Amino acid sequence: MQIGPPIRTTGSDAQEAQSGTGDLSTGTSSVHGMGGRRVFVSGVGGELGTLVASLLEAEDWVGALSGIDADPPRRRLHRTEFHRIHPDEHDRIVETVVDFDPHVLVHVGVWEPDARAAPHAAALLTDAAATSIIGAAAECPALEHLVVRSGIEIYGRARGALTRPAESAPVQPTSEWGRTVAAIERTAARVGERVGVTVGALRLAPVLGPHVPSPLGRLLRMPAVPFSVLADPPFAVIEDRDAARAFIAAARVGLAEPVNVVAPGAITALQAARRGRRIPVPLVGPDWRIARTLSHLLGAPIPDHVSETLHRGRLADNRLMRSLLGFQPESSTTEVIDRLYHWPSVIRQPARVQVA
Amino acid sequence: MDTPRARVTKLSTAITRLGDEEAGMVDDWGRDPGLVRTVMHLARVRWDVSVGGDQHLPKRKGALIVVNTRRFALAPIFTAFAVSEAVDRPVRFVGRPDTAPIGAFSRRLGGLLDHPDEVAGALAAGQLLVMGADPDDRVGEVGRVDHALVGAALSAGVSVHPGATASSPLARSARVEIGAPSRQPRRRRGPLTELELADRVRLDIALLLEEFGNVRTGTPLDRLPLSGFGGA
Repeated sequence: MQIGPPIRTTGSDAQEAQSGTGDLSTGTSSVHGMGGRRVFVSGVGGELGTLVASLLEAEDWVGALSGIDADPPRRRLHRTEFHRIHPDEHDRIVETVVDFDPHVLVHVGVWEPDARAAPHAAALLTDAAATSIIGAAAECPALEHLVVRSGIEIYGRARGALTRPAESAPVQPTSEWGRTVAAIERTAARVGERVGVTVGALRLAPVLGPHVPSPLGRLLRMPAVPFSVLADPPFAVIEDRDAARAFIAAARVGLAEPVNVVAPGAITALQAARRGRRIPVPLVGPDWRIARTLSHLLGAPIPDHVSETLHRGRLADNRLMRSLLGFQPESSTTEVIDRLYHWPSVIRQPARVQVA
Repeated sequence: MDTPRARVTKLSTAITRLGDEEAGMVDDWGRDPGLVRTVMHLARVRWDVSVGGDQHLPKRKGALIVVNTRRFALAPIFTAFAVSEAVDRPVRFVGRPDTAPIGAFSRRLGGLLDHPDEVAGALAAGQLLVMGADPDDRVGEVGRVDHALVGAALSAGVSVHPGATASSPLARSARVEIGAPSRQPRRRRGPLTELELADRVRLDIALLLEEFGNVRTGTPLDRLPLSGFGGA
């Protein structure tokens, strides 16, 4: 069932390009060889997806732009045609994607555990979205390139795991989220092989932003921040805007391999708590079980991949990001964490007129 | 306030000087400069290290220094601290464990796992690394050099330097001498390159130890690591 009609925010240029009548000789250059590419963004209703779509709208190589999600976009998109479809509605997803027949598909539609959905629901939603959307893309004759969102959790943090794994490091996820993104990459790679299109995977560090639902960000903003007194390992993050810019770069250059997208620098939970003037709570062993329960009750659940980050750290080598994408994050990990503590909290506005 | 371009330029410039490192932070590998400075001060109570041959090391590029070790002498660690001070750059050591709290503490001091990919990644990023040969308690002898780690340096395209260390469990004085980069005996196309280079480095360390001066007496005293010469 369609929840709402497609939102056609503007008309002529997008539709012209979609119908193939757009002027392709306007001097717009792209790595794909020509302007007027049709780009489809899944997960356009999320904060990251909305950012990706809004940045794509400004790209001169992008012609028609369409997006899909279970929720509407977080901000006004001018050229993007939005379809509100639940990940379970496979038939409608396939119909929508095949009708659009994109040249480039950007798959951002993933649910991080305990970000917007509980871990089990998040895994189901992510799997349903990945299967239908990437599967639908495989049916599109014009498809040339696929970019999927992945995460550096894919490397896992088992004992002896590399401190700063590069893209060539073995994929050995040790958390639910890591296994989920590994499955997305596998699905995309299979489709890429079968239909002969290039597939790029952006392995993002934990994404933080003023409106991004992130379990790590939520935990670090609590008045008291737990940290492992025996390890307090370093981790790196990426700001939402930098992550979105990486997607644009990947789509533009036709990235054909996995790339870590990580802000330079690193920080530990204790250092983050100190920078944010939070109360650091040193924990060891069984204390963590109590802390996880308490944190869950207080509205900041700690899923296993965040717990792993706090115990074993989460870094990744980001040299390929610069050479393959020609992209450099504008903010370092420390700057993102500093900003995390300056982003305003949710302000609840009471109703002007009490109706009940 | 910095413009985005200025910020990008700043971020892309790797920290190469000890004085540039911000205390209370960790770097890309989890090294904590503030803690390293504190431990270096404490290490001066235990070791008084003189460093020679640091002019052989590249100014900005990465390099792998292989040193001789003796059990419990912590040669890679005091060498990393001493060379770091001498060249005014962060120097890391290879061979930290991966269990808390020792592994976590070692990582804060600049320790890396002894995994070829970990070593290759750090070297390619322009880091100076110190790794130890296998421990050998005989005076003037050098243990086996892990060819996989030497291979990591080859794949990263950086030089491999022999380093001779001498210290004593009872005395403070210690010495580190770094040699010119070891050269491959001959060009090979396969993995023999790293094996032969590892053997070559081992030989070069032994030569540097010889140059330290020999205080062998021909008696069992030579076996005791008290002199501060001829072994790690």
